[in-house]
Amino acid sequence: MSDPSSQLSPLLRAGHVAHCRRCLNGLPASQTDVDASRLALSFYCIGSLDLLGVLEEQVSVKDRKSWAQWLWEQHARGKYGSGFRPSPFMTAKHLSESQKELEYTDYDTPHIIMTYTALISLAILRDDFSRLDREGLLQFISACQREDGSFSTVPGSNESDLRTLYCAFAISSMLNDWSGVDVPRALAFVATCRTYEGGYGQSPFCEAQGGTTYIAIASLQLAPATGAESETLTPLERQATIRWLLDNQDKSGGFSGRTGKDADACYCFWCGAALKILGAGHLVNSAALAMFLSRCQFKYGGIAKSPGENPDPYHTYLSLAALSMYPPEASATGTYSASWNFAPLDPLLNAKEETALWIRQHIPAARI
Amino acid sequence: MPLPDPDGVPLFAERPEWADVLPLEQYEDVNPIAPIFYTEEYKAATNYFRAIVKAGEKSPRVMELTESVIRQNPAHYSAWQYRYETLTFLLASTTSDSTPKGALPPLLAAELTLMDELAVQFLKTYQVWHHRRLLVSLTKQPSRELALIKRSLEVDSKNYHTWSYRQWLLSSFYGADENGREQDDDDEGETIEAREVWEAELDFVDTMLAQDVRNNSAWHHRFFVVFHSGGTEHEAEKERIFKRELVYAKQSISLAPSNPSAWNYLRGILTHTRTPFATLETFVKPYTVAQKSAGDAEKRDIVDLDNPPPSAEAELPCVQALEFLADIFETQGASEPGKENTEKAVELWKSLANQYDTIRKKYWEYRIREAHHGKEPRT
Ligand SMILES: [Zn+2]
Repeated sequence: MSDPSSQLSPLLRAGHVAHCRRCLNGLPASQTDVDASRLALSFYCIGSLDLLGVLEEQVSVKDRKSWAQWLWEQHARGKYGSGFRPSPFMTAKHLSESQKELEYTDYDTPHIIMTYTALISLAILRDDFSRLDREGLLQFISACQREDGSFSTVPGSNESDLRTLYCAFAISSMLNDWSGVDVPRALAFVATCRTYEGGYGQSPFCEAQGGTTYIAIASLQLAPATGAESETLTPLERQATIRWLLDNQDKSGGFSGRTGKDADACYCFWCGAALKILGAGHLVNSAALAMFLSRCQFKYGGIAKSPGENPDPYHTYLSLAALSMYPPEASATGTYSASWNFAPLDPLLNAKEETALWIRQHIPAARI
Repeated sequence: MPLPDPDGVPLFAERPEWADVLPLEQYEDVNPIAPIFYTEEYKAATNYFRAIVKAGEKSPRVMELTESVIRQNPAHYSAWQYRYETLTFLLASTTSDSTPKGALPPLLAAELTLMDELAVQFLKTYQVWHHRRLLVSLTKQPSRELALIKRSLEVDSKNYHTWSYRQWLLSSFYGADENGREQDDDDEGETIEAREVWEAELDFVDTMLAQDVRNNSAWHHRFFVVFHSGGTEHEAEKERIFKRELVYAKQSISLAPSNPSAWNYLRGILTHTRTPFATLETFVKPYTVAQKSAGDAEKRDIVDLDNPPPSAEAELPCVQALEFLADIFETQGASEPGKENTEKAVELWKSLANQYDTIRKKYWEYRIREAHHGKEPRT
């Protein structure tokens, strides 16, 4: 076997930091569609800085404080409980200070995916969560759960798939309180998304896909034990899932999201993290993975979905997260080994272990 | 409505019919994260949109306003949500006397036409597809949708949203569940229509796979059509369908052996029907050897539906066939005292690890260790 890592170039850490800082500073009008998910983009940028280990030394305390403050400004209370909105895109400039405390309307509610990313972002910024409305958060999750066990993005919407279910599970796990979720019903929904290939689709009857397979596997692992049959995979199911996930690593070294599609940097995380959770991380070809991701680097910073494409914070963060789980061996990186060095990642919450620990210590309600 | 001037549509603020609305600017913190440098047009439209939402106005001009917001930001889910609510409100409040029986109200028909355009333009936006689901729940005309998807798949044959939408349509309107469709004896007409739709669906998949035998979305759809929806309780009929699918998968493999989608489908139908992999040993073997056997050329001349040989151009051995045969041997070896077949499986895994599929070397070595430790076989 030719050693693919023999030509491994350095990881362009400074460039990736610069890419994320540029995006945090502002986005061009061509990215107006990010408006409805700006908190997620913030998470990918702040998360990348966390994985690159530069938050403390390269970002001033003042900046970090103002980021946290902006995140809290998206926190809102109302009739469905509390959570975070994607951005102020539906919030009107208040005419007086007293309006600041107004409850959200039906068109400006919290969003479950944004709420998950806000909690992780705030933990990265080492917020103490003293402002978190835990009861309201549980009420909000509960308001998002639908008849079939899945969760909608915002209360009452028909937009629902496995992504939102994972967010509900991750938030419940962070709170260490599952009273907002009907777990058996949710797990039954997960089971209906499983396909003959061994992966999971985003909704019942949909094609197996790497991202939603991570979501399903992580959700099964996060779920509290209820004794339900759908809670665990049978040994044969587990083997089939591992086989399908590993099969997605193609000759380029990267992972594809679906059988027969081209490799894409984000699936190095989604498939890689699912394998890690299934206890099969040691079967991933990490040398080839690093080689692929090194080729996805954009020369002026940031990581793209595939070589030659334009970078974005989403693929930058997920590539760095994949490398945190699957760092190439020092022997493969030679003189550049320091550039490929990462702190370990918690694949279940999708955050640096240190950050996940902060979450576990600060988000659950204080025990008396 | 005034005709757009040569410089484009005027901003809402410049239009007399909006003069009664006080636009509401977006709130932004002094130090926002990732602020977007909006265009003036977008700012204007959303300022009016916030005002309209605050006032709770649901009038025809809201349709125009939300269309403007959506065209500039198709991910603006609040605009989609408000648009839908306005639409249903207007539909309920307009008298339908002038609409011929069976025809859609003009407002709804116009919305569908607009959505046909936006579905192509914003193919990868979740909201476009969610809005369609809501609309078709109103029109109850899924067949029109199936035709549209066909066209949109011609543009992007693997688009996930498009396929998901098709699967949702079929399962919601023509019945599908984990165990297959339930027969509804009360409504003979609907049952016949559903049967015709599912049959047409199989033809549709055939066409898609004929265009690209490696399109995994089409293979997945085939499994969905055959096993989750074409409901039958008759054992003989089930057996006939299984045989048909088996022949289909084998034929596809014989034309393009290194096609993981076809092999996954083959594995899928065997597992679904609890058929041992070993029943396909004769079929698989010619795909696992480097040299084509002398008999293959002759075999290609006679049609052998059960064991179609690899095509003349096939690159052999085929990785998926080696894996499949190793699975057969592993299962056989597990119940043998001498484990002779386990060793045959190990030889195949070694060839995958060291020669034919080196990217997964660690996986094949893991399979070897597992088999030697007498773990449960997987088939
Ligand atoms: Zn991607």
